[in-house]
Amino acid sequence: MKSFLNKQAPYVFIAPTLILLALFSLVPILVALVISFTDMDLGGLANFENIKFIGFTNYVEVLADPVFLKAIFNTLFYVIIGVPLVVLCSLTIALLINLGTSRIFKAFRVVYYLPSVTNIVAVAVVWSYLYNPSIGLFNYLLNLVGLPDVPWLTEPTTAKLSLILLALWKSIGLNMIIFIAALQGIPKSYYEAAQLDGANVWQQVTQITVPMLRFAIFFVSITTMIGWLQFFEEPFVMTNGGPLDGTLSVALFIYQNGFKFNNFGYAAAGSFVLFVCIIAITLVQLKMQKNESDMT
Amino acid sequence: MKKTFKVMTALVLSAGLLVGCGSTNNNTSGGTNAGAGNEKVTLNVWGMGEEAKTLPKLADEFTKENPNITVKVQSLPWDQGHEKMLTAVASKKGPDVIQMGTSWIPEFADAGALADLTPYLSQYPELKQENFYPGAVESAKFGDKYVGSPWYVETRVLYYRTDLLKEVGYEAAPATWDELSDAAKKLAARGDGKYGISIDPKEQSLGFMFARQNGAEWFTPDGKPNFNDPKFVEAVTYLNSFYQNGSAPKDLGLDIIPAFKEGILPMFISGPWMIKLIKDQAPEIDGKWAMAVLPKKENNTSLLGGSNLSIFEYSKNKDAAAKFIAFMSKPETQIKWMEHTSSLPAVTSAWENDLLKNDPNYKVIGEQLNAAVPMPVIPEFARIGETYLKHFEVIYRNNADVKKEMDAFNDEVVKLMK
Repeated sequence: MKSFLNKQAPYVFIAPTLILLALFSLVPILVALVISFTDMDLGGLANFENIKFIGFTNYVEVLADPVFLKAIFNTLFYVIIGVPLVVLCSLTIALLINLGTSRIFKAFRVVYYLPSVTNIVAVAVVWSYLYNPSIGLFNYLLNLVGLPDVPWLTEPTTAKLSLILLALWKSIGLNMIIFIAALQGIPKSYYEAAQLDGANVWQQVTQITVPMLRFAIFFVSITTMIGWLQFFEEPFVMTNGGPLDGTLSVALFIYQNGFKFNNFGYAAAGSFVLFVCIIAITLVQLKMQKNESDMT
Repeated sequence: MKKTFKVMTALVLSAGLLVGCGSTNNNTSGGTNAGAGNEKVTLNVWGMGEEAKTLPKLADEFTKENPNITVKVQSLPWDQGHEKMLTAVASKKGPDVIQMGTSWIPEFADAGALADLTPYLSQYPELKQENFYPGAVESAKFGDKYVGSPWYVETRVLYYRTDLLKEVGYEAAPATWDELSDAAKKLAARGDGKYGISIDPKEQSLGFMFARQNGAEWFTPDGKPNFNDPKFVEAVTYLNSFYQNGSAPKDLGLDIIPAFKEGILPMFISGPWMIKLIKDQAPEIDGKWAMAVLPKKENNTSLLGGSNLSIFEYSKNKDAAAKFIAFMSKPETQIKWMEHTSSLPAVTSAWENDLLKNDPNYKVIGEQLNAAVPMPVIPEFARIGETYLKHFEVIYRNNADVKKEMDAFNDEVVKLMK
């Protein structure tokens, strides 16, 4: 009896988590999967009998939808430019803050972290004034030094880059904290040994710090990548996908189809395409990381 | 950024709620007697937009007359109202009375979320259809059901700066399409950063309205979409010309009222709610602006919009809800509401009031109301409007071929309406 209890006890402890996970993560995903095979719309929401199973029609249609393909292209654009930028900037800032010994650098941690805790709506209000075509601060500054206006949010490619800039500013903080934590875990003795051998700061950073941070870099890149694949809030509050669908991300496409056009089945199919993509890309990254760690 | 999962979860939770609540509402079909007796009832009312914040004032008066009915008003922003309604339909729990934008009526009526008001017409004479503007009544009908009672109406008119138009030689408002285009060009020529007119590129009804003025029919007699009709194409080409010759800004990033005040946008087309906003936010230009009926091509038909009050199908207090709507439909209440928010009464007899008869601004609107039609009452129309905007964006941004875009737009609508 006692050994039985000992064996069962851990399960009792993890049960709440498992139940919550199943209830709020796994079951919804399964139901969304079921919905993606139906033509559920507002009528179906009000009365179950109006829902018909239509097999893979939603998937076939969504994959042939030029707007969805554009959303995928935009999302890849965000990921390919955004992810390296976030990792690079937050790593650089973490290193600089860590190297600094004066007290002011502690304050700068707060400064860089502040955007991460700011409400996105407040951010949107401020940034839309910065980007505003006629009274915006950015264009005003450009004009001061004699440069022409930049169509920050009104030309499709520029708008994508503007949103990346905003998202970068917002996401540096959190990743920087992760890097700083990892940096402080590197034993001081490594640096002391290197200094005895006459290594300069640059050599110390490239030969000791960056290799020791490999796992942190991997973690940050994977979470950032998943975050950018689900890029939603910035285009939602700043551009609503426009101009000419230039900033429409896959997540925003799903939202618009689900809640604006009431095409729940179609939206669910789109969300499953995204879900599969995220899982696939993450698995590839995990696999690559494994191969790398085998080598050392 | 983790919205995908949120969206999926929301989809799923709504479905879950549906399963959970499906069988609990069997006893609401026969109208209950709540509110008629002395039983205490609490009515939940959802109002939309800025004006709903003033609604509690009228609700208090209603409670004074009916002490056993308490009214709880919740005011939702227009852009969140739609989502809130979806949740309410999914959970079959929500308000008792909802303010419905006329464009929402078809989709929610189609889903069976709005109660039929016909049984209450004999009980509350205020709700009778002949009291209201016919266009407003039309927007509240869905099939053989009468799912909303007109509350206020609005129609689009031309707002213009009298002083600035005088400077370019217009003593009165432009009366024809040609004059409008000419005046806008002359006003835009005043200098850098000045424009002639604001044509809101996000306003989906504008193209349809101008097409109507050009004599285009939205649908063929057998009900097929007719949006690539030469007359429709001509209207869109006309709208596009304002952007292409620089008399309307594509992206200004300024609110209309400050731009109107500064003379950056001396003309715009909008509804009656702007009167109060201009008076409150730009008192400096008092006496320097006026309103006029829309310029004419074949006709000057404007858009008829507004709000209806509907009873939510799953409400348990339908009787009290009907009583509340009847109260809101009384001419006296409608006049009070107009004083608070400058929304225009949907009840025709309220227009006998001196306030409406003698005010020059309201007179213009009253005149325009005679030439105003609502958007088509079909569930697909919200989607059609969105699709139109996408194609219109290609037209005005890239100066694309109008005929080709409208052909593509029409094809998409044909697919949508199947």
